Amino acid sequence: MKVVLLCSFVLLLLSSVALYLSFPDVASEVPVIYWVTDPNPARQQQVQLFHAWMTAEGHTTADGKPVVQLRLDTANQDVSKKIIQGVSGVGSDIMDMGPLHYFVDIGLLQDVTEWGQEGSFGPEQTHPAIVPAITDRGRQYAFPCNVFTNMFWVNNATFRKYGIEPPTGRWTFEEFEHTGKQLDAAANPPGQRRMVFLAPYVPTQLLYQSMGLSALNESLTRCTIDDPRYAAALELKHKWMFEDHILPTAADQASFDTESGYAGSVLQLFNQGNYGMFPMGRFALIQLRKFGSLDLGLAEPPHGGFPNTQIFTRCASIYVGSENKELARYFLAYLAGEPYNMQIIRDADGLPPNPLFMEREEFSRPAEFPNEWGIHDAFAEAARSIAIPQIRSEFVLTAVLERHLTDCENGFINGRLTATEASRLATRRIDEEIARSLIENPHLKPLYRQRLAQQAEIERLRAAGETVPSDLIANPFYRKYYTFKGWSR
Amino acid sequence: MSQTSPSSSRRRWREFLTAMGFLGPNILGVLVFTIFPVLFSVLLAFTNWDLRLHNMYKDNSLNWVGFDNFVRLFTEADFVRFLGNTLFLMMGIPFAVAGSLIAAILLSKDTRAGGGRTFLWLIAASALIASCALLTVIGMGTSAMIILVTGLGCGMLALGLTGGVTVYRTFFYTPHFTAGVATFLLWKKLYNPRTGPINTALQPALDSLTVAVQLLSPSLLRGAFWIALLLMATLFAMTLRKLRQSWADGDLGGRAMLLPIILLTIPTLVTWNWERTRAASWLLIVAVAAILLWQGALKAIRGRQHHPPTPTYGGGTALINALMIMVLQLVILGLGATLHALPAMAADGLAAPQWLHDPHWAKPSLMIMGFWGALGSNNMLLYLAALTNVPQELYEAADIDGASPRQRFWHVTWPQLAPTTFFIGVMSTIGGLQGGFEMARTMTKGGPDGATTTLSYFIYIEGFETGRLSFAAAVAWALFVLVFSITLFNWKFGNKYVND
Repeated sequence: MKVVLLCSFVLLLLSSVALYLSFPDVASEVPVIYWVTDPNPARQQQVQLFHAWMTAEGHTTADGKPVVQLRLDTANQDVSKKIIQGVSGVGSDIMDMGPLHYFVDIGLLQDVTEWGQEGSFGPEQTHPAIVPAITDRGRQYAFPCNVFTNMFWVNNATFRKYGIEPPTGRWTFEEFEHTGKQLDAAANPPGQRRMVFLAPYVPTQLLYQSMGLSALNESLTRCTIDDPRYAAALELKHKWMFEDHILPTAADQASFDTESGYAGSVLQLFNQGNYGMFPMGRFALIQLRKFGSLDLGLAEPPHGGFPNTQIFTRCASIYVGSENKELARYFLAYLAGEPYNMQIIRDADGLPPNPLFMEREEFSRPAEFPNEWGIHDAFAEAARSIAIPQIRSEFVLTAVLERHLTDCENGFINGRLTATEASRLATRRIDEEIARSLIENPHLKPLYRQRLAQQAEIERLRAAGETVPSDLIANPFYRKYYTFKGWSR
Repeated sequence: MSQTSPSSSRRRWREFLTAMGFLGPNILGVLVFTIFPVLFSVLLAFTNWDLRLHNMYKDNSLNWVGFDNFVRLFTEADFVRFLGNTLFLMMGIPFAVAGSLIAAILLSKDTRAGGGRTFLWLIAASALIASCALLTVIGMGTSAMIILVTGLGCGMLALGLTGGVTVYRTFFYTPHFTAGVATFLLWKKLYNPRTGPINTALQPALDSLTVAVQLLSPSLLRGAFWIALLLMATLFAMTLRKLRQSWADGDLGGRAMLLPIILLTIPTLVTWNWERTRAASWLLIVAVAAILLWQGALKAIRGRQHHPPTPTYGGGTALINALMIMVLQLVILGLGATLHALPAMAADGLAAPQWLHDPHWAKPSLMIMGFWGALGSNNMLLYLAALTNVPQELYEAADIDGASPRQRFWHVTWPQLAPTTFFIGVMSTIGGLQGGFEMARTMTKGGPDGATTTLSYFIYIEGFETGRLSFAAAVAWALFVLVFSITLFNWKFGNKYVND
């Protein structure tokens, strides 16, 4: 028995050594860096392009090989995994990020401001609207991998089938509602289960923002949702769901849901004509192209006076604890370069991070997809003109802000709260969270006091009918809104 | 006095080293990955540890905040709400335990075809096959799921006839083999409000009920509500009388009466607190107060004949009985209120529930799923094993005494199963308080409207969404204190109940 156990032990030891030797870091002649990202098949090609770009740029060893080897890690994309690994000192060298500010707060991301200037991947190399999403208090922590602007994809064939003019461009709430009612009346026979809806959803944020309201005030120090415009937005959404049947209820959506692929079943239902339109970025084309040559159109989100849409990014950051930070920065430079951007354009994986490449013919009029001509430019124009990044305050976590807003909205949709009660409750909870945050993070207090002074100054100028200096406004929504209204300088 | 020789001492030392060689890695693993984190989390709960401030890349000093995190628990509306969700979901435990027991009793019978049973089994199988065919003929063939489920039922019945009870035991235990997430997704599909088989089957029945309700006089149904209130008051009076009698007979201590009485008044408070029943609650409140005064007066006048050994004597039994009566009262209240509202609900046609998409139905949906899981769980296996251990002589003695099947169960089987029930009860309570994370994460994301967020899910949110590790640790320890208290209570009173 002893011999058997000893042999097992030796075998395990040898296997461990063999496993260790098979690790890419050990087997490779050059340092290996890991990129935590999603399992999109395009990532493999992007890795190859990176190696080719490194060679072309001359970042090579004496024998002409790239000085660093990039490997994918698609198993650790979950936010909690990234946090736990990061604070334990074993995070991946490069991490794909959604909103990065929480990671900046924790201190997991490398400040790349200087490297960005040296390596041509500074904020000026990307879309101005997305800069707040890759910077934090004036410092750069990431560079976009791609950029998403939410617009409503329109299946023109669905509308024409029911004799309705497909929507296009800019439209108001009233026009949206009118078109929706027309579609509902034409496509859903009375007494039967509704199978056709105008759209799967409209983000509530866009509704109240288009009425000139943001979740937080200009200085991001207080919640401002306790406002009749928020209540009106909720009531409008409720009406569209339960009275006009323009949007499906949660139960309708669940009945459609197949739980597969990104965006669930929305794209398939759009293709089949169950949804006349749906909000998503340009990356929807990755799937839509598989359906063949659809008769596609594009419309802005409906507005109540101030046309706006959301802009997001999947950006790449360097882990502060990486042993290969100096090498990882090449990757960010690569994201701003031509090979990567052209691949994003070809694959339609959102907008390219570097807007310079949106001026290319391959972007505006891809030869293989004439049915898409005009659409790409509309996305580019939306990113330039009406796109606003996610609101983010130093005093309340975005995830917590959104959780409270969603909870209260659900409370209203489910009949537990009135719209006014929902807005009051959300405001109270978010303001409490801000107060708690200031107690727990005393280092935020000087900034908070400074912002309060800014807020007082903004309110004084507004009351006096004067214009407000743009740099006094911390909330990106209000920066845009004040410009739109001519209230800022 | 024995002398230890140097060679035997060396041998024992060698044996010790060998044992440690084998046990060492495991002990080390438990110390590093279990004991240390547990102890560390105690310290964590008394600090202001926040991921945003304290980690290897931040040099902020860690501060002791005493009981601040624990005090915060009681001012945090979310904690109270999610604790309520957790406790509500635990109300399904008695039903789940009862389900396991019933399943075990059924599975302890031989189902193999033969004897007088064959005829019955054949009738059941034929009825299923006929209903399956009928459904297809009358045009419900579109609902393929119904045909499939009925067909599966036929198949299981047929297999049971040939393979005996082993087949059924295997079927019943199957949910336990299946990965939790897979069953959660399956139930999500079953609960689909439009296309799920549950509502597809339920809606036609509700349509028929709508017609029936519309034909009935609304006052008749509304009258049912008053009957429900009367039943609640009667149950209260009967239980209180029983408690007083037990006290008088020396079977119940004075202090042991307090908690059961509080529990029994909870349904009255719910009636008063519930908007739908508030208007009529005064009647119940008056009745309950009168009963309390009356029984109190009788207690004072008649006194007691015997004295219990301690003031808390018999508390466990009284508490369990009161708990069951309380649940029964709440069920009656719910049924009464539903019947009262039925005419109004039926005016626009009765709609099947939205299940996971309705905050009022989401928790019961999870409880039903939990009940299904419990039918074929380890609890069922434990009951099966316990049933085989019940001495046959006791049944024979009961038969000689002329006991009916019901009496055999209550006076022989049930007391013999008490230790198993106690163990299952304790484990289910612990599991119930700690559980709910996987369900919430997979099926509802804690929604709708936070209705299915349990404390375990709340710990995850606080720990990783907001980075407040110390507060998350405090929630975890509050949960531990709750689990420990309930377990201690179970041991103190339940164990006595089992041994009595």
